[in-house]
Parts: sequence; structure tokens; C-alpha cells
Amino acid sequence: MAVRVNPRLIDDLARYGAQDVSKCYHCGNCSAVCPFSRAPHLFPRRSMRYLQLGLEARLRGSLEPWLCYYCGECTEQCPRGAEPGETMMSMRRWLTAQYDATGLSRLFYRSWRAELLALALVSVLTGAGFLAWGVLNGSLAVYDGPGAFLSSAVVHRFDWALAAALIVLLCANCARMWWFCVARAPGPPISPWSYLKQAWRLPFHFFTQARYRECERKRPWAVHLVLVLSYVSLFTLIVFFAQEMQAGPAIDWRVHGLGYAATLGLVGATLWAVRARRAAQEAQYRRSHESDWIFLLLLLAVAASGVVQHALHRAGFLPAANLAYLLHLMLAVPMLLVEVPFSKWAHMVYRPLAMYFEALLADAHASAERREAPGVARAA
Amino acid sequence: MACRVGVYVCNCGTNIARTVSCDEVATRLARVDQVVVARSYQYMCSNPGQEMIAHDIEELGLDRVVVAACSPRMHEPTFRAALQGAGLNPYFLEMANLREQCSWVHDDPRAATEKAVSLTTAAVRRVAQHEALERRFVQMCPATLVLGGGIAGLTAALQLADAGPQVYLVEREDHLGGNVARVDLTAPYLDSARSLLQERIARVAAHPRIEVLLRSRLHELSGYVGNFTARVRGADEGLRDLDVGSVVVCTGYREFDAARAAEFGYGRLPDVITSFELERMLRAGRIVTRAGVPPRNVAVVHCVGSRSERHHGYCSRVCCMTALKYGHEVRSALPEARVMDLYIDMHAFGKGCEDFYRRSSELKTMFLMYAKGHPPRVREAEPGDEWSLVIEVRDVLSGEELEVPADLVVLMVGMEAREDSQEVAHLVNISRDKDGWFIESHPKLDPVATTTDGVYIAGACQAPKDIPDTVAQARAAAARVLARIARGRIEVDAITAEVDQGACSGCRICSQMCPYGAIDFDTGARRSHVIGALCKACGTCAAACPAGAIRARHFTDGQILAQLEGVLEWPSNHGSSASSATGAPTREPTSPEPAASTTVPTCASSA
Repeated sequence: MAVRVNPRLIDDLARYGAQDVSKCYHCGNCSAVCPFSRAPHLFPRRSMRYLQLGLEARLRGSLEPWLCYYCGECTEQCPRGAEPGETMMSMRRWLTAQYDATGLSRLFYRSWRAELLALALVSVLTGAGFLAWGVLNGSLAVYDGPGAFLSSAVVHRFDWALAAALIVLLCANCARMWWFCVARAPGPPISPWSYLKQAWRLPFHFFTQARYRECERKRPWAVHLVLVLSYVSLFTLIVFFAQEMQAGPAIDWRVHGLGYAATLGLVGATLWAVRARRAAQEAQYRRSHESDWIFLLLLLAVAASGVVQHALHRAGFLPAANLAYLLHLMLAVPMLLVEVPFSKWAHMVYRPLAMYFEALLADAHASAERREAPGVARAA
Repeated sequence: MACRVGVYVCNCGTNIARTVSCDEVATRLARVDQVVVARSYQYMCSNPGQEMIAHDIEELGLDRVVVAACSPRMHEPTFRAALQGAGLNPYFLEMANLREQCSWVHDDPRAATEKAVSLTTAAVRRVAQHEALERRFVQMCPATLVLGGGIAGLTAALQLADAGPQVYLVEREDHLGGNVARVDLTAPYLDSARSLLQERIARVAAHPRIEVLLRSRLHELSGYVGNFTARVRGADEGLRDLDVGSVVVCTGYREFDAARAAEFGYGRLPDVITSFELERMLRAGRIVTRAGVPPRNVAVVHCVGSRSERHHGYCSRVCCMTALKYGHEVRSALPEARVMDLYIDMHAFGKGCEDFYRRSSELKTMFLMYAKGHPPRVREAEPGDEWSLVIEVRDVLSGEELEVPADLVVLMVGMEAREDSQEVAHLVNISRDKDGWFIESHPKLDPVATTTDGVYIAGACQAPKDIPDTVAQARAAAARVLARIARGRIEVDAITAEVDQGACSGCRICSQMCPYGAIDFDTGARRSHVIGALCKACGTCAAACPAGAIRARHFTDGQILAQLEGVLEWPSNHGSSASSATGAPTREPTSPEPAASTTVPTCASSA
């Protein structure tokens, strides 16, 4: 069945950051140097070709962009300056937009103004809501307990509602990803047993980023792992131990000790990434899409406002601590609501999922080959 | 008549001496009658070697020399010059090829030495029959005929006329410029073809020493190098004779007829056009489909008629860069349009071309690679599609069967030899290859001369080439002509055929056989005679003449027969040396003293 080329897809992807893919003349150096690229996943060259030809359906059903961690080796070796690493990165942005049925992701990636506007809107609504609640139900001078300006119990319930919304959105996106990449993939069917057998890959890749370690240089993996684990720790503390975190002003080292360590990791890793992107020396940080900067700066601002809020509370400046808390929520809520389902942060789910799907497809092929093998033996 | 022959056996370092016992050859040759001296030496072609020969000629009064060394193609001119330097006619030399025909091809030293002795003896017998020959000269007419008024002809004509001589520029069409005049911009620097031509055409038209003959054709070319008469049929159908010394053929190419490759639908689908048709649109500044609207998708198909088993196997060399040029020109005229390039390989070998290819890819031209022998197919789109044409192609780089939507399909038609190339080749007596291109004298070392002396070729009539190569070749041809003119006269090799006027019956078989048109027939006397300047001494006429009236100088029957008998002399006439060699394995090396010798009876040939 012939596939129709689309000479204009390349223009669309340019908005996501793939500015140089047309320079590629398919020498294959990129795929040769990539430590992950092995049959049947020969990237980045194949993905580059699909994009040049505008084979949209092939690209949408490809897991390969998620298998790349962007170590930048391919870009360093490219004789034509076609930026294979950045092209793969752009395809991840494009895929994120494809998995999102609402069209918001596409809008945000193609227009940073729209993304900022959405962030501002969510921020104002969050601020207005909590301010109204605080003024009506509490006092700015009270930080915790009865009459608190922002009661931890209320924020906690809000957190759960937000988490539920994010999970619903992400699951819908993951279902679309499964539909594009697994359900519609040509080849043998996948057994339900395979789905169970390979499920361990999801937490494994999420918590260890093990494949990133296969890249030649280990430092990016280490920094990324610190960022992931710090974020997971803080997320766990906030979602499950919000009341303990907010108690005080005495420092409870059982929860706060981990919180401090995670904050340090988060801020350190984020600052490292900001510095690297500003220096623009290493291949993977040479090109920065607007969405990369929005994500990093938002993360820094959320962390900073959290630190200030915590410090003011411990120091006993309760009204100031309450205002800092409000600001913290005005930054954290839009960050989660916009970045997790619609933008850069979604990759934390798609990447392990892609490795899971890849294992499922490989399983199906292997069992199909086993079924055919006796026939081969007879023929021999 | 007894001759005094000197025999010089070259060791060629160890090239000959490794297999052939050179000392033995010299010793045994010294015993052959008429041989005054026979020497073996390390390198005969070296200065001391040549001086040894010259010294012997003077001291011993030699009148014939045999050098038993390498192929005469290698060093015959060297030794002829040595003879001439010593006051001997250079044609009193004969070489025996002991290297290529003996030491390099045989392993057995005994047999190789025997063969070397036979070959050298044969040379002695032949050289005894040699005659003194004299080199001759003919006058060189400085006027030049240039055939074709394209970029090659214009360039050659200007370079010649600027240097002084008269030039006649003959062009079939009613205007100058050729195929370049049909082109808009040129790759890779995107400068205008019109500006390349205009200055040249204006200078040619105004040049006092260039006579332009438009709507004219060469009707007949007679004579030989330096002394041609070109009969030209003019616009008024009148004939005019021009005296010229040289001819530069710059007749160019014609484009491949795209309708011959049915898979592309040219002639059947209105929006499938050739590259020249697109050039016309570009020069008019309006790129439109048949419906009169600007195309959104323009597909460019490479290698139409070229690099194909069904049409021409060769590469037409200019199409790849021209196709890339369309990417630039279409995008700059229609920024919303997209260009798709369907190619086999991208041939970007010229100066600045690889960079041009890189810049073209930055224009987001979509490159689709198809396999040689699996050309794309163009068909009409389905009703309701936004585009009018669909190209089906298998892309090698992805392995996918693809459909390419297009509003305009441009076929990069290759170059082919002009329909009149056979006629032109016949008129000026040059050869064509299997594709109809004119054949140069040597593909690498002599790219503008032909097998006919005084006739040169330049530009795409020789093979497909781009403008820079065409201009370079045209200037090279002009330089060759000017070098001849500067010498003023033409040396004619002394080794030619000659007709015995008394024996000639005027049957003209020889002139039909001669591959070089070197035999002229005197209608008054009804006798043939050889034009020395054209004769290449191939000997065909001498073999063909039923009356035996033609003699090939330096290859006479007497000389050849004497040589054959010389080969057969050993061992019958001189006794088997093989037996004597086994009896006395060590032999005296040749003494520097001349070994005057002739005790062995000779065969009948020299009697």
C-alpha cells in the first residue's frame, strides 16, 4: 500500500524545533554512533526520513523518538548539520501534541505566548480561588490549624483533585499513544500475558532512567536521575504528607530532612540545566525551544517560592509565609496543569511507556518467530 | 651491397638481462655477417648508451644500427635522434623488442635467449634493406572553420580571432547561442545564461576577423590538415568555398525526447513538462500549470533518458545541478510552493556544486531517491484531489512505496547526440561512439583532437558536459589550432604509402579502402596518389592494390621478407647454440673491442 508524502509536515515540525532536518542526506552516521540504535529500532535516521517525506502516520506510530535520551552524539557526528538529536527532541514535542486530543498541547508548543497565557490564566484563577477561600474562612495571621489562611487539609484535598485530573488526562493521552503505536502497529498480536510480564519495565525505567545510562557520557544521566528522584520525593511528601510538611514552626526532621535533600537536588539539577542551556556548548543544550525554558524557569520559581514560604513560616513571619504560600500555589498549580499533560513534563510517562510498548512488540515478534520456527526446521 | 651494421643489446637494468643472456646475444650476433660490432650494455637509452652508438658510427663507419631493447613505441624516437646526431639517416635504425616480446613474457632463460637472438638477427636482416627517408613539410593555412555557434563555437571563434587568424563561424540556425540561449539561470552560482552569451555574441558579431554564416551548413570538406577546402551551403542555398587550415567542430547536443519514456506521461498528461519548457516559463517569469494557476507542488524527475538501460546508459552531467537550480528558482518565484526531487544519485562533482546541493537541501526541497532501473511512474490524480498528478515511486532511503502529489512534473531530459551527428562525422571524417558522440584522439591525454589531423572537437558534441567544461574544451581546441598556425608549416611523417604512377591502373580500390581519406585521384591522368599529410602508414592500400603499385615506405615487401628470413636463420644456418651452451656454460662477455666478424654463410636475402 503506497503512502502519500507530505512536503509540508516539515514546516509544521519546524515550529516544534526541527529546523534542520531537510539538510540530512542519509549517510547514517547518526544511527551508527547512537549507543541505543539497534534493529529493529534504527534511529535517528529512519525518523529523520519519515519526517523529510512527511509520512505523518508512520511518525505518529513510532516509538523511536522516546527511545532517544538526546546524549547529542549523533548531532556531533552529523556532517551536514542536520541536528538529528534536536530533530528527535522536536519529534517528542510533536508526539506529545499528537497524543493530546484536546489540541492544547499543539497550541502551546507552537506558540509560547499561548502557553504563557494559559499559565497566567490558571495562576490567576488559582490565586483568586485560594485568596477568596482564605479571606472568607481564615486569617492571614494564622498559618496552620483552625482559622488558617490556607488550611493544609483544604490544600491537601485540592492536591488530590488536581492529581486525579492529571491522571485522567495523562491516561487518555497514554491510551492514544497505545492506539497509535501498539494497536495499529503492523505485525503479530500481543498476548495479555505479555502485558503483565513486561509491566515491571514501567516503574523500573521511571525510577532508574537505566537506559539513559547507556549513553557514552554518564553525567547527564546522573543529573537527570537526581532531578527525577528529587521531584518524586517532593511529590510524595506533598501529596501524602502535606499536613506534616505544613506543621511547625518546629522542624520535623523525619519529613523535612527528606524535603530539604530533595529541594537541594531539584534546585541543583535545575540550575545545572539552566547553566548548560545558557552556555549552549553541549549538543543537547545548544538548541533550546521556548517550552524548554518555560519548564525550567517555572520549576525554579516553584522551588524558590516553596523555600521562601517554608523559611518564613519557620522564622515566624506568618502573614508573609501565607502570602508566599499563595504565590507558591499560583506557580505550582499552573505548572502541573499545563506542563504535565500538555507539555514537556509528559515525557516522564511517555518514555517508560515507550520502553514497555517496545518490549510488548518485541515479545509478539519473538513468539511469532517461534511459531514459524518448526516449519523452518521441517523445510530444512 | 654490403652494410656495416652495429648491434646494441640493452640489458634494461635487469628487465631484459634477468631472463635473456644479453652477453650471449651480443656474442652470437657478432658472428652474423654484415655485423661489424655487437655490444651488450646496461641501459642503451641512457646518454652513455647513445654516445656509444654515435661513437661507433663515427669510428667504425657504421651505416645501419640495430638496437635490441624495449618496444619501439618507447624509445624509437630516442635512437633515431641518436643516429641523426651522428650524421646517419634516422630511418637506418631497426629495433628488436627483447623486453615486451621476450624477457617479460618468457620464463625459460634458454629459450628466451634463443628467441632474442632470432629477433635481433631478423632486425639485422631488415635494417640492411632500409632506405634513407626524408621528412617533408606542407604549408599551414591560418584561417579556421568553426562549426556551430553555441557557447563552444563562440568561445573558440573569439579565442582564435583575438589571436589573429580569420575565423568562419557556421551556424545552422538563424541566431547564435545554441542550447545555452534556451536557459534562464545557470547552476551553481545562479547567474544568468543570457548575460554569459550576450557579451560573446556581440563581440563575435562585431569582430573584424570573424565571419558569421547563419542558416548555413557544411556541405563538403576536402583537402587535409593545413589545406582544407570547406564548401558551405548558405542561407540562399548557394555554395561557397572557404580555404581553412583547421576545423573546430562544436555542434553540441539535442535534448532527449521525453515522450520516448512512456512512464512519465509526457505528451499524455498536460502538466508533465520538460526542463526546457520550465526554462521557458522561468525566462518569461511565470510558472503556471496548464490550467493557468501557479503550482503548489513541483516534482522534478532526474535522469529522464539518461542512466537507463532502455535509453542512454550515460549520465548527462548537467541535469542534477539544473534540477537543484529549479528548487531555488521555483521557491524564489513561488514561496508557497514545495519542490520534490526524484533522483537516482546526486551528481554534484563540479566546482561549487556540493555546496549548492547543501544549500538546496536547506530550501526544504524533498529528495526522493529511486533505484536505477525502477523509474517513477506519473499518473493522473483521483477526482477530487487537490493536485492533478501523482507520482508513484519506491524511495530507496526509506524502503517505502510512495505517492507524490504534484501539480507540475518537470522531466530532466538528458543530452543526446544531434540527429545530424552522423552526417557531420562523415563530412569531416571523424568517428562517433555507440551513443553518437564524436570520439576524441585520447580520452585523457588528447581530448580535443580527433583521428583526422586538423579536425578538433569541443563541447557537448563530444559528450555531455556543462558550460565550464565546454568552454575549457573550446579554448583548448583553439589553443591547439593556434599552436599549429604559429609553427607555420606542418611536418609530415616520412613513413607513408606511395603510388607507383607507372603501375597504377586508376581502379581507385585504394581510395575506397583508405580509412583516412589520404588517397587522391587525379582525374586528368587517371592515377591515384597519396596525400602524405593525411597518410598514417597503416598499409591497407598497399595490401589492397591489385596491381601491386602501392608501396608502404619503411614497410616494403623486401624489408618484411628479409626480417622473416632473419627469424628463421637460427639455428639452421648458425648451428644450435643450445648444444654449445650446455657444453661451454661460461661465455666470454663481449669485449669493448669491435669484433669484426663474418664467417658464417648468409642467407639469400642479402645476396
